[in-house]
Amino acid sequence: MGNKKNIKQKIVLKGITASPGIVRGKVRLIRFPKDILTAKKEEIIITPFLDPDFITLLKKNGQIKGIVTNEGGATCHAAILAREFKIPYIAGAEKATKVFKNNMDIILDGEKGTVYEI
Amino acid sequence: MKYDKFSKIESIKEIKKYSLPHPETIFIFDFKKQEKEIDKFLKGKKEVSIRSDEKGNPRFCPNIPMCQSPKAKPLIEKINKQGYAVILHDYLPVKKGRIAAGHILILKNHILMELIGSGPVSRLDRQGAVEEIIKFKKSNLAEVEHFGRRLAKVGVFKNVAKLVKNIPCFRVLDFALMEKGVYFYQIQNDKTAKGLRD
Repeated sequence: MGNKKNIKQKIVLKGITASPGIVRGKVRLIRFPKDILTAKKEEIIITPFLDPDFITLLKKNGQIKGIVTNEGGATCHAAILAREFKIPYIAGAEKATKVFKNNMDIILDGEKGTVYEI
Repeated sequence: MKYDKFSKIESIKEIKKYSLPHPETIFIFDFKKQEKEIDKFLKGKKEVSIRSDEKGNPRFCPNIPMCQSPKAKPLIEKINKQGYAVILHDYLPVKKGRIAAGHILILKNHILMELIGSGPVSRLDRQGAVEEIIKFKKSNLAEVEHFGRRLAKVGVFKNVAKLVKNIPCFRVLDFALMEKGVYFYQIQNDKTAKGLRD
């Protein structure tokens, strides 16, 4: 995220820091676990929560750039896995699936638990 | 058989090492040899929890979170025959008499608690059903962050934090706060937590 300073940013949502890292990408709303397999490079997935079905599929798709979920925290299985895979992750962002629309350009700051719209 | 390779059993031994309160527990490696010990444990108990452990398998092993005592022995025998060591402990109800349960993550400078009210703690792990999050500063146990609804007064959780503040960093403890007291039943390493903001 070298050019972060040059981008006009608006805080869209705050949540809990579950896995650190700052990434920029496009929103991909995910409703069903199998949709994770179709997530593309540069996409940040937004989903209610990463239950074990999601996690199994997450392991098969190494392209996911970041994760935001409505539920969860830093000690859930999903958070531990995201940290293992070094995928920035914000959990417990309650309205994430309502606030974000597909293809929105966002910056996910996993250190601060904040999502910015570009 | 080298029993020190059972991760869940080792975890309970570690809880004992730190003198943390825990539910009464026995480990069963050989049902036949330990039948009398099992009878003694079950005596006077309405319900018990049956967990199991396998060498080199930190993940799924058979478990019966709530088992009526009269039905426990055949189940223990069956699980033991399948090659698992059995962890038999006092049943901690997930609703009646429980204030909260969840995880405590020990960071370098902070103690993070993620909690649910009633229901199995697996809901927190697997479904992300976190109801309250509290972050305490280790040095003075001041609450520095809070999310969600209060399941108990902050002082109650501060007292729990006092018990664990000297546990080494990047350990996660599973605990249940009951009206009758607090009980720790698992402690695990989480090296990935080193990357979290502290």
